[in-house]
Amino acid sequence: MLRRLLLARLVDLAVVLVAVSVIVFAMIRLIPGDAVAIMLGANTEVTPAAIAALRAQIGLDQPIYVQYFGWISKVLQGDLGTSLWTGKPVAGEIAAHVWPTVQLTVLALVIGAGLAVPAGCLMARWRGGGADAAMRVATVAGLTIPSFWLGIVMILVLATVAPSLQLLGYVPFSVDPVGNITRLALPAFALGLPILANLSRLVRSAMLDALGQDYIRTARAKGVPERGVVYRHALRNALIPFVTSVGIMTGYLLGGAIVVEQVFAIPGLGRLILGAIAERNYPLLQATILMVTLGFVVVNFVVDLLYLAIDPRVRA
Amino acid sequence: MARLSFRALLLAGVLMAGSASAQVLEVAVDASPVGLDPHRATAFSTFQMINGTIYEGLTAIDKDLRVRPGIAESWTVSADGKTYTFKIRAGMTFHDGSKVEAADVVATINRVLSKDIASPLASRLAALDTATAPDANTVVLQLKEPTAPLLVSIATIAIVPRSMETEKEALQRAPIGTGPFKFKEWQANGFVALEKHAGYWRQGAPKLDGIKFNIVPESATRQVGLSSGQYSMLPNIDAATAMQLKGRPGVKLAETLELAYMFVGVNTSKPPFDNVKVRQAVNYALNRQEVIAAALFGAGVPGGPLSPALKDWATPVEQFACYKHDPARAQALLREAGHTAPVAITINVLPRQDIRDMAQVVQAQLNKAGFRVELKNQELGQFIQDWRNSNFDMFASTNAGSPDPDDYFFRTFRTGGSTNVFKYSNTELDGLLDGARTLQDQAARKAAYDKAQAILACDGPIMHIAYGQLFTAMRANVNGFEIIANRSLSTLADTTAGR
Repeated sequence: MLRRLLLARLVDLAVVLVAVSVIVFAMIRLIPGDAVAIMLGANTEVTPAAIAALRAQIGLDQPIYVQYFGWISKVLQGDLGTSLWTGKPVAGEIAAHVWPTVQLTVLALVIGAGLAVPAGCLMARWRGGGADAAMRVATVAGLTIPSFWLGIVMILVLATVAPSLQLLGYVPFSVDPVGNITRLALPAFALGLPILANLSRLVRSAMLDALGQDYIRTARAKGVPERGVVYRHALRNALIPFVTSVGIMTGYLLGGAIVVEQVFAIPGLGRLILGAIAERNYPLLQATILMVTLGFVVVNFVVDLLYLAIDPRVRA
Repeated sequence: MARLSFRALLLAGVLMAGSASAQVLEVAVDASPVGLDPHRATAFSTFQMINGTIYEGLTAIDKDLRVRPGIAESWTVSADGKTYTFKIRAGMTFHDGSKVEAADVVATINRVLSKDIASPLASRLAALDTATAPDANTVVLQLKEPTAPLLVSIATIAIVPRSMETEKEALQRAPIGTGPFKFKEWQANGFVALEKHAGYWRQGAPKLDGIKFNIVPESATRQVGLSSGQYSMLPNIDAATAMQLKGRPGVKLAETLELAYMFVGVNTSKPPFDNVKVRQAVNYALNRQEVIAAALFGAGVPGGPLSPALKDWATPVEQFACYKHDPARAQALLREAGHTAPVAITINVLPRQDIRDMAQVVQAQLNKAGFRVELKNQELGQFIQDWRNSNFDMFASTNAGSPDPDDYFFRTFRTGGSTNVFKYSNTELDGLLDGARTLQDQAARKAAYDKAQAILACDGPIMHIAYGQLFTAMRANVNGFEIIANRSLSTLADTTAGR
C-alpha cells in the first residue's frame, strides 16, 4: 500500500512538473516585449542591428520549440542555465533567494499554525460562549485584513514609535542574528495572522465535528477526563483537515509571499519571480517556477506521509 | 547563561549597526540594476548606480551640464575639427590595481564598437574613424567628419581595463572602473554595495567609506525608511514623493530642473498626424500649465524641444506661437485639414504615475478641441514594443534628454534616425542638423539649433509639454551632495554623512 502510494505520487510529480515547464515557457513568451527591449530601456539610442545581435546572442531568434527542447534537455542534465542579466548560474540565484523565503515561511507557520491549534480547541470547548464569539469576530478581521496593508501599517506605526529599529530589508542569520530576527518578525506576523485566523476556524469546526461523534460519548462514558477527551481523542481526528491546509499554505508561502516581500524589501523567491517577469529573464523565471512547483509537490507529499502517522486506517 | 549570550548578541548587533551607519551611505532605490556592464546595460536603474561612482569617461558632465575633464585631464581639437587628442591623467589606477593607460581607452572604444558586445552606445561613436594610442598617456580620436557633440557623447562611455575588451559577462556582475568607489557585493534583489577606492586620483575624494544601494521596490517603504533614518538618501524622486517628504523632521530636499521631459509623440507616417495642421492643432489644444498643476503638483515649467535647464541652448517658450492655449484655433486647424467630425485617436500610455496623470489631462484638453481620445494604459514591455515598431497614433511618455542638442535631435528627428519612431522626415531640418554637427563655433551652432527648435516646436512629431523638477531627498546630516539634471550621482564622491 505504502509503495503504491509513493509510486502514484511520484508519477503525479513528474506530470505536474512537465506541464508546468511547458506552461511557464509559453506564458512568459506570450507577454509582449522581450528581454532585449527591457535591457536597453525605452530611451536609449538603439539601432535595429544592435537589437538583432543581442536577440541572436540570447537565442531568441530561434523557433520556440527549439528553444524549449534546448532548455528542457539541459534541465534534465541538472543545468538550470544562466541569468540573462548577470550571467550568474540560475541555481545560485535561487539558492541566494530561497533562505529568506524559507525563514519567512517557517516563522509565519509557527505563528499561524502553532497558535491555531490551541486557539481552535479553546473556541470549540467554549462554543457559544462570549469568548468564542469574540475570537470568531477576531478571526474574521484576521481573514479580511490583507497582509501587505497590515505590513505597511505596522511599518508606519513602528517607525513613529521606535525609529531606531532596523525594520526593513534582510540580513542573513549568520551575519547578524538579532538584525535577522527583528527584520523578519513584522513580515512573519503580517503573513501569519491570516493563517492563524483561517486555521483556528478550521480547527474549531473540525473539533466540534469530532466532539459530536459516538466515540467521544463512549470515551466520556468510560470516565476519560475532559482534557483527555478533547486533546487525545477529538484533536487527533480533527487534525487531518488541518494538516492538509497547512500543507497547501506552506506551498503558497514557499512560492513567495510576493507582496509582503515587496513591502518589507526582503530578497526572497517572490521578489526573484516578480523581477524575472519584469525583466523577461526567461531562464531565471522558468527555473524558479519549476523549483517552487517542486517544493509545492514535495510538501504535499510530506503531508500524505503525515496522514499515515495520524490516521492508522490509511496504512491498512 | 542563555540570557547573557543573548545580551552579547544584542550588543554585537548594536555595535555593527553603529559602525555601519557612520561612514556608509544607505541609499534606497526602486529597482535592481539590469547588470553593471556600462556598455551593455543602458537602462536607467543601472546608470544611476554606476555613472561617476564606479565608472568614469574621458570627459565628465558637471552639475551645470557642461563638459569638464574626466580621465583625460586635457584635450586639443585640430583646426578642421576632425582630430581630438586627449592627455590621460597620470597616476590613475583601475579598481583591480592596474594602471590606466591610453591602450585601455582604445580597448574600451573597440569594445563598444564590437559586434559581439552589441553595445547600444556604439551609435555615439558613429563618426569615429580610428582610435589610436601613440604613447601610454595620449589617445587620438580621428573622425570621419567634424562632430561638435563628441565631448558630450563620450562622457558616458565608461573606460574599462583592456583585459575586458572581449569579455562579455564579467563586468555585468563584477564591474571594474576608475571611479571613486569600487564594487563590493551585489545581493540580488537586496542591495549593491560599493566601497571606497583608496587609489582614486582626486585628493581627498571620496569622503565616504562606501555606498549601499538598497533595492526597495515599495514607495511607502522607501519613504518610511528615510523618515526613520534607516536610509539616508532617496535619489532622483518625482514631485509627488518629494511633496510627501517635505517638512518631515531630519529630512531635506535638493532639487533641480529636469533634463528629462514629458511629452506626447505622434506617428507622422499615417493619418491623422501625417498632416502638419493636425500636429499644430494638438499644440494649440494643450494647456501646459494645467498639466503641470495636475501631474507635477506645480513643480515644473513648460518647455520646448530643449530643456530650459540648457541655458546656453534653449529657446524661451514665449517665442513659440503654438504654445498659446487656443482650442478654437485648434478646431479651425482641424477643419482646414478636412476633419468635420471629431478626430478619433488612441494614446498609448507609459506605465508611470505622473505620465498617467498627464495623459488624463491631455485627453480632456484634446476632447475639448475637436479630438476624441481613448487612453490605452500599457504594461512596460508592451509599451516599448509598440514604441519600437511605431505601432501608435500617439503615445504619452518621458525622455531622458541630453546635455548637447545634437545627441537628442539627430537620433530622434533626423530622417532615419535611430530613435525616430515617429517616421518624421523634414528635409529642411535634416539639412540644419547635418550642418550643425560639423560646426565648431558656438554662436553658429546656436543659430542652427534655434532654427531647428522653431521648426520642431509646432510642426514636429513630439509635443513637448513640461520639464519637471527633479528631487533628491536626504537625511539632514548628508552634506556635499549636488543634484544633477541628467540623474548622475557622481557628486557622491564629495558627499559626507556625519552624525
